Amino acid sequence: CLSPQVCLFHSTLLMKSAFTDSLFSAEDEAFLLQRLVVLSQHPLLSPPEKLFYIDCILSFPENRPIGCGDDALPVLLTPRLASVLVPTVFNDSATLLARLHLLCLVYLEEEDEEEEEGRGLGYLYDHLTSLLRIVDNGGSREIVVTFFRAAFLFLSYFFPVERFSHSLMEELCSLYLRHTHLAPHFINLADHIQEQLSESNWATEFLMALQGAITDAELTSKDLRWHLKILARVAEEGEIKQQSTVDFLSHIITSSSLCVKGDWRLGNFLLGVCRRLLVHPGFDELLIPLADVLQHLASRYGDTDIRDHARLYYTLLTTLSKDKLAGVLSQGYGEGGGQAKKRTFSCIVAESEGLTSLLTVHRAKKIILKLVEEPQTETGSGLNLNEDNPEEASVALEQYRAQFDVPGFASEIPLNYQLTHSESADSCFDQLFSIRLHFSLTDDHYELLGDISVPCVFRERPPPSVKLRLKPRRPQPTSLHASAIFTAQDGFSWLTDLPDVHVAFQQTFLPLPAPETWGRGGRLSLFDGFWDEMSREEPTGGATSLFCCQLQEEALKTLVEKHFLPYLVSDPSDKEEIKVLFFLPPQSHLLLRIRSEETVHFNVATDNWQLLPHINSYLLTLTSSQEDTHT
Amino acid sequence: MSVRALWIISHEKGEHLSLRFAKRFATVEHRAKILAGSSYTAVPEDNTVLQLLLTELGLSEPDKPFVALRDDCLYRQRSPALELRVDSPGKGMLWPVLAISHGPITLACLPLVDAPAEPRPALASLLSVSQGLTLLAGLQTFLLGSGSKPDSEVLASRLAMLPSVLLQVCPLGTPLDVPLPGAPSTPTVPTPAENQKQPAWKTGLHRGRAAVNVALIETVRSMQYGNRSRQDLWDVYGTVTCKCEVEGVLPNVMVTLTLPPNGSPLQDILVHPCVTSLDSSILTASSVDNFDGSAFSGPYKFPFSPPLEPFRLCSYTSQVPVPPILGSYQLKEEETQLRVSVTLKLHESVKNSFEYCEAHLPFFNRDQFGVVDVKVSSGQLDVSKEKNLLVWGLGQKFPKSREVTMEGKISFSGPTPGPTDPLCTELTAYIKLYFKVPDMTLSGCSVDQHSVQVYSSSKQRIITSRELQSKEYFIWNSTGSAPVSSGQMML
Repeated sequence: CLSPQVCLFHSTLLMKSAFTDSLFSAEDEAFLLQRLVVLSQHPLLSPPEKLFYIDCILSFPENRPIGCGDDALPVLLTPRLASVLVPTVFNDSATLLARLHLLCLVYLEEEDEEEEEGRGLGYLYDHLTSLLRIVDNGGSREIVVTFFRAAFLFLSYFFPVERFSHSLMEELCSLYLRHTHLAPHFINLADHIQEQLSESNWATEFLMALQGAITDAELTSKDLRWHLKILARVAEEGEIKQQSTVDFLSHIITSSSLCVKGDWRLGNFLLGVCRRLLVHPGFDELLIPLADVLQHLASRYGDTDIRDHARLYYTLLTTLSKDKLAGVLSQGYGEGGGQAKKRTFSCIVAESEGLTSLLTVHRAKKIILKLVEEPQTETGSGLNLNEDNPEEASVALEQYRAQFDVPGFASEIPLNYQLTHSESADSCFDQLFSIRLHFSLTDDHYELLGDISVPCVFRERPPPSVKLRLKPRRPQPTSLHASAIFTAQDGFSWLTDLPDVHVAFQQTFLPLPAPETWGRGGRLSLFDGFWDEMSREEPTGGATSLFCCQLQEEALKTLVEKHFLPYLVSDPSDKEEIKVLFFLPPQSHLLLRIRSEETVHFNVATDNWQLLPHINSYLLTLTSSQEDTHT
Repeated sequence: MSVRALWIISHEKGEHLSLRFAKRFATVEHRAKILAGSSYTAVPEDNTVLQLLLTELGLSEPDKPFVALRDDCLYRQRSPALELRVDSPGKGMLWPVLAISHGPITLACLPLVDAPAEPRPALASLLSVSQGLTLLAGLQTFLLGSGSKPDSEVLASRLAMLPSVLLQVCPLGTPLDVPLPGAPSTPTVPTPAENQKQPAWKTGLHRGRAAVNVALIETVRSMQYGNRSRQDLWDVYGTVTCKCEVEGVLPNVMVTLTLPPNGSPLQDILVHPCVTSLDSSILTASSVDNFDGSAFSGPYKFPFSPPLEPFRLCSYTSQVPVPPILGSYQLKEEETQLRVSVTLKLHESVKNSFEYCEAHLPFFNRDQFGVVDVKVSSGQLDVSKEKNLLVWGLGQKFPKSREVTMEGKISFSGPTPGPTDPLCTELTAYIKLYFKVPDMTLSGCSVDQHSVQVYSSSKQRIITSRELQSKEYFIWNSTGSAPVSSGQMML
């Protein structure tokens, strides 16, 4: 195996590129280049190595480079030297194309010297036509692709040489008529030539020639769909007159059994051509014959769907002014070229491939939406002034507990969120419509949540609020998986995951659902009743605990105002002892008596001992955050 | 320079795709991430890479006639450095993905690029590309052997050995060496603690009887058109393969190639890296150089220090004045049959003693043979089972006149159509010659047994051999149009 030589030779070239004439003389340069040419066609080397050497010729490090372009060939590479690298039909496709590319560059430089041009360029053209013969004789798919790439390469360098570019056009047209199934390749070639060689109108002329060839040719039914595909592409060219296309359409629908058979796909191809003709700039002259075609389709075609769409186009054509028609139909084209088409209804007809992507839900790669907690708005704990308070604690308890006999009483925790864009969302998701949020649970502490619909989210507008109604089975913190399906501006449906929604322990608190008629007194007696029950040494599941910490009086005051106000049972002016009662749906309670002595004592009582660890950590975070803000 | 990832896949024309081996080098990937910065493109999952690779190689979705991504006519440099367009999660390009294929096996690797991604550096400016190619070629030889047909069992066992082999030749993704083709056959002993230092590329020492085997194989290719407007073409290239079992840490051996007095000089000489010194006039003779008048015609001396395994010492090309067998092939369409007329002449300078010599006459794009009424002046004529190929066995010798002929008529009235070929339509047809002549070369080049010098104390056995074989030896029908096979014709 000679392959270590690739590395050795390559290193030499890299050295040459680094040190140029301080290390390599002009003879060395000539020798290295000659060696490269030898190696790039050596019978004993593998094709990838030879291709690599060809690549090295293209970027040969010259001592005194003249040009500085990407593909500046070394001066020493004469057509004579390069002639050993001419492509032949016996080369594999990669080698063939690489050699053709190199030789195109060689002859492009020689173009000024008239006498050389003839032979070298003529050879390349002959080579192209012999490839075309092979394609014509039923070459494999690989040969077909290679031929079209070779044709593109040749044209991209030599399109100004008219005698070749014209005869190639003719050859291609006759090739098309013999092998209509190659239509996608022809369209692809025209597209790329148009895109890459904007200064040439070869592509337009080529499409015009194809149009001529198709409309003049005798019709066979198997070619029809390819013909229509090509004609649809031709109709996109504003400079090409479309009279013959319309004549062709009207000929095929009236003279053949096409309408009787009513093939849906062919009908779609027909409509595709019509649709493009409707927005063609030279549309005025086509108006009447095109209307005839559409009317014929609308009344005679054997497929209902096609008839309907033809009727739609016919109506549009006959009732709308030219500008409006263009406005309605051109939505599918226009901005952003072929990619960012808007998916409109009428597009479903023309672009059958677009239909599948329209009907699919696409999965977004980034997180687009998120839920953020809505800032709390204080609702004053409106105490009833007409107090009707039970005197006895036991009566209070009884009255209170009786409320829970009604099913669903105070069993839901409302959580308020806002639905907003996440920071990473692309601008194409600025306007979202009909968003449907879906939530799934991560544990079994809560009942299942229903989906929530939001009409729209716009980036520039205030975010819509979303109210989650959690129904706990057990008062435990949790997190929820959330996802959203929505429609974006481009008309596609998208699925995105939202960041998990975390429900903290304190979010499961509710103010005491005491009877509405009660005042503070009733709540206080209820508090005492609960406290007594829980501190009894009976196995009721209740528990008491004590939490102590160092807090200034001022700090305690802010803490209570900030966190406990909605749950406060005792009078806010009562500094001696602060009583707080949390209700945790479905039926748990958490009571606090806070006394300020040397340290602050939080006496805790609850009817659910499993809450104790959560209470502890909750108080710990509360008090430590107070300490932080006050020191 | 390092590789980020390596894949070995097998497929049958894009179908039955399977990943035989995949390896990623996390440390190299980390470096790639740092080097590329924001333009970094992660290597996607193996399955994704496979699909992208097949698309670039034009093999994906073989049942669809046109796939825009695969069959786009826009030319870009593809082989050997492919460009994979990664779709997710961040759009990006993986480049250069080096790939080499041999039959159903494709090896690919992604070398680390240490230059900024934009603008894209020239392929030739990246040392990692040639290193990657070398690694792949080495792995290919290791997996498939140098033989033409890969053996699935050998392949499986070699693939199983690959992780440990890679650990040696490419530790942490940095290629240091190519794997040895096969296990060392001769008894070797590990490096002894001697004064002389053992080179890293030599894993052991030979102990035992010294033997040097030098084999010279010349291959001749030809395209003969039998047409005044087309010049006939032929070329010859030779390879010298050595197997040296010689004692010592760095033994010195010298092989000398000699030409007869009127022989044409050897050209395009490539030598193995183990050759220690070379006369510069040996290297400068080149087939592409038309001003070469120096005509150094040997002797060609190659001093070297051999590795343990068999290796290709050197290769050369030669421009010989005449082809060994000159043929003429004429077909004439006659109503329902084809008149065939063939003449083959063996040149007088060629030894008339073949190991085998066969002429194949395939017929494409026609029905199967009906009646074959063909007479040959020498040798034996067979019709292939498929009834579309004539095989003319010429045996070991041409007759004394050194000329053989075939005359006759073939009708194509068989029941089923024969094979098709897009190139050989109508009267475009060829004869392909297969022959091998032992103990001769066309250029006259030879290795004399006594000219092989081994600088060693012990006695050694020296075996030399030479042979001539044909490859791509075509004689085209002169009445049909034949494809151009070389650009030298037009000059």
